[in-house]
Amino acid sequence: MLAQLERMELVSRKIFRGRMKGERRSRRKGQSVEFADFRNYVHGDDLRFIDWNLYARLDKLFLKLFLEEEDLHFYALVDASASMEFGDPTKFFYAKQIAASLGFIGLCRADRVKIETLGAGPANPGPVLRGRASLWRMLDYLDHAEPGVNVSLGDGVKDFCLRNSGKGIIVLITDMMDKSGYETALRYLLAQQMDVYVIHVLSPEELNPDVKGDLKLIDCEDSDVAEVTISRPLLDRYKRTLASFIDGARDYCVRRGMSYVLAPTDTPIEQLVSSYLRKRGLVR
Amino acid sequence: MSWLNSLAIWQWSLLAIVPPAIVLLYFLKLKRQPLEVPSTFLWARTVEDLHVNTIWQRLRQNLLLFLQLLLILLIILSLLRPGWEGTAKIDKRAIFVVDTSASMSATDVEGTRLDEAKRRVAQMIREMNSGDVAMIISVSDSANVEQPFTDNQSLLLRKLNAIKQTNHRSDIEQALRYAAGLANPGRTADDPGDTQVAQAMPATLYIYSDGRFPKFKNFFLGNLEPEYYPIGSAESDNLAVGSFRIDRNPEKFDQIQAFARIDNFGAEDVDTDVSLYIDGELRDAEQLNVPADGQASLQFNMDDIEQGELRLVIDRKDDLMIDNDAYVAANLPRRAKVLLITDFNAALSMALSTTGIEKYAEVSRISAEDLASDAALAAKYKQQSDAGAFDLIIFDRYSPEEMPQANTVFLGAVPPTEGWGFAEKKPRGIVIDSNRSHPVTQLMDMGNVNIADCYPVTCPAGGTRLVDADVGLLMAIAPRQGYEDLVVGFEMYSSDDAGEVVYNTDWQIRRSFPLFVMNMIKYLGGVRGSMSSLNVAPGEPAIVRSRLVVDEVRVKPPVGSQAKVGREGENAFVYTFTNELGVYQVREGSDDEVSQRFTVNLFDTRESNILPLDKIDLGESEVSGTAGVQRSRFELWKWILLLGFCVLVGEWYIYNQRVYL
Repeated sequence: MLAQLERMELVSRKIFRGRMKGERRSRRKGQSVEFADFRNYVHGDDLRFIDWNLYARLDKLFLKLFLEEEDLHFYALVDASASMEFGDPTKFFYAKQIAASLGFIGLCRADRVKIETLGAGPANPGPVLRGRASLWRMLDYLDHAEPGVNVSLGDGVKDFCLRNSGKGIIVLITDMMDKSGYETALRYLLAQQMDVYVIHVLSPEELNPDVKGDLKLIDCEDSDVAEVTISRPLLDRYKRTLASFIDGARDYCVRRGMSYVLAPTDTPIEQLVSSYLRKRGLVR
Repeated sequence: MSWLNSLAIWQWSLLAIVPPAIVLLYFLKLKRQPLEVPSTFLWARTVEDLHVNTIWQRLRQNLLLFLQLLLILLIILSLLRPGWEGTAKIDKRAIFVVDTSASMSATDVEGTRLDEAKRRVAQMIREMNSGDVAMIISVSDSANVEQPFTDNQSLLLRKLNAIKQTNHRSDIEQALRYAAGLANPGRTADDPGDTQVAQAMPATLYIYSDGRFPKFKNFFLGNLEPEYYPIGSAESDNLAVGSFRIDRNPEKFDQIQAFARIDNFGAEDVDTDVSLYIDGELRDAEQLNVPADGQASLQFNMDDIEQGELRLVIDRKDDLMIDNDAYVAANLPRRAKVLLITDFNAALSMALSTTGIEKYAEVSRISAEDLASDAALAAKYKQQSDAGAFDLIIFDRYSPEEMPQANTVFLGAVPPTEGWGFAEKKPRGIVIDSNRSHPVTQLMDMGNVNIADCYPVTCPAGGTRLVDADVGLLMAIAPRQGYEDLVVGFEMYSSDDAGEVVYNTDWQIRRSFPLFVMNMIKYLGGVRGSMSSLNVAPGEPAIVRSRLVVDEVRVKPPVGSQAKVGREGENAFVYTFTNELGVYQVREGSDDEVSQRFTVNLFDTRESNILPLDKIDLGESEVSGTAGVQRSRFELWKWILLLGFCVLVGEWYIYNQRVYL
């Protein structure tokens, strides 16, 4: 899998200015080995870039232009609310796997990778990583990340956005189970003018609940109680509600130029990264 | 509308706890199983619109409670057994008399008549109020108290159900006397000074029968209030074999004839086939028209059969099937065992040794002189005669000290029993008349017989005069404890003064003499009666006489297993389990061969006539049937329970489908 990921590359549909030279060609011309164009010499240009061969042939001064190579800012934002600690494997574990995979891809391409759990706050920001050597730091961070931070999606994202103003790709990995709604959070991301990907993680237990009888359902986040008596019509109704929720989220994202990927936790991670995300254009 | 209480107080109090318990449980509500989920977000949205109409929601939950309460209410209501009362109430003390005779197996009602009677009695028992007592008597040819007075309804119903159909005749008198004895105690106290031992207990006598009883007299109901419920349909139709017997053809001795009479107790002429089976194989069949309420007879001719079981079947289905079959058994024609005790009787000896007689009899002879002188012979004779080893013993001029267990013929001698005697010797007798109707003297013309000395016979009461002469009675026959003694009042050979044998009569050269010998062997030797077997009515004891000296016989009934029957004195065996119709096989001692058979047939016009009587005669009083009055009670509880079941189904549906509500 690692070999497969190494061959991959994070793709942004927008071109951003990186802070350091990376492996990424930029639209800006700059110093690299990759030739871009010629232009006439004007006064003050760096003599180092004059193409002396052309001067010898044409007796005119031309300046050689090279493409500038840049790095990419990649942010992976993992929802760490209590609801993520559900399913087998837990949604949180699955989300971390996705973040690690994408982060690894970014590290291999010398992108600037930052992985952070939602609600981590300024006290415990995620590490900023670059280069393949940082892989272990990334994994270590993810390893120590624990769910159960009850911060609303909106607040978590807002906090993140305030601290990270850079442009780049942001992947929000969440189950979107927030009673105050996911819209606020997405709006913050949108305002950053980032390339936003939303990976919606749901466990099979949520997609096809296998429950029966008279139940008192307790919300693990806010201990809210819903009393239900499971029957076939009720389950059908639940599935309809779930489908409309998913459709609503996808619709919201697509309308605002965000990419939405539904990731049931029973989908193998390789398949998700190499097939689904590739189709969405996040990696190639 | 009336109510019947069907539960005891403690059962009611248990039941009364149920509705409060339901309400209580409803308030305690059902305990929901807690389950932690990542988010109730979607679930809340799912059930959100279900909660929109909360009043309806509340009502929905209450609806189940109401349905449960309604269900328990309906159950209580059905236990109270509401209904519309029949015409009359059952009395405090009831005596149910259920007829179980053969005619009650008729199927002109639903099931059999006995079923119908039991159904009606069961209905009456269920209508008994607490404190009412009832008893059940079943009646066939005897009465059985199935259950004495009790107020335990379930016991009464159980005993009622246990009543079994019999094939017996019916006789209600015994049951009535029993019931009257309970209702009218102290009847035996003739002395006005006697105190009554028990109080008179008036009771109502409910008789369920078709009313065909023999008449009886001298019975007073007293405190008994009879009610008669005729069981059966007035349109019943029944053919019955009224009689069935076989005999030898008197003209062709090697042929057998079977005679039968078919009775029609229906209101229409009937054409039917009648089949004759021998040992289970169809031998003959005949078509017959039996007029309404009349009879038809038929006759089958057959070649000789040694022995076998004959069965006559009316091939037609009618309301009473058991009398459509009749059985007769042809017993093995056996040779009579005859003992002749004489000193000299050449003519008789010769007549008994002809081949004609040998076909019928096995004759042994003892000299009277030897019998007097030889003690061993006398002892052997005594043992044989006491055990009934002979069918017929002929004493010629010899009179034993004790009468043997056999038929006897005395020639010129009288039995040593009371009633028999010889008058003074007369020198000459002229026969005037002989009894042509008696089997012994039939076809005999003794007018040409000359007799020298004769002794006019006096015979005991019950005797039959066979031959009369001018000097008085010369031949008579009289019964003795199941046997018959025939006495001839003259000697055939007499001795003169010198001791020489002289003829006393010329009878031996007349045609009437061999005829007499043959008749005597056939009749007194039991040959004639051996063709048809013994027939008894169902339930009556069959008295079987063994042919050999055995201690027990084994009787195999048509249904069931063989039973051993011990000797009841002499050579008679009494078998009493004759409920089943058919042929009973008798085996003597350890012999595996069937030695004889007897049959049980209904042959009873009173039972076969299954038309129920409108009124019955109970001794001195006549009771009319209350056939039209169905003492029924229209019960509602079944419908209420059905409604309760519907409520239950509805509740179940609502419970399961409640998201739709």
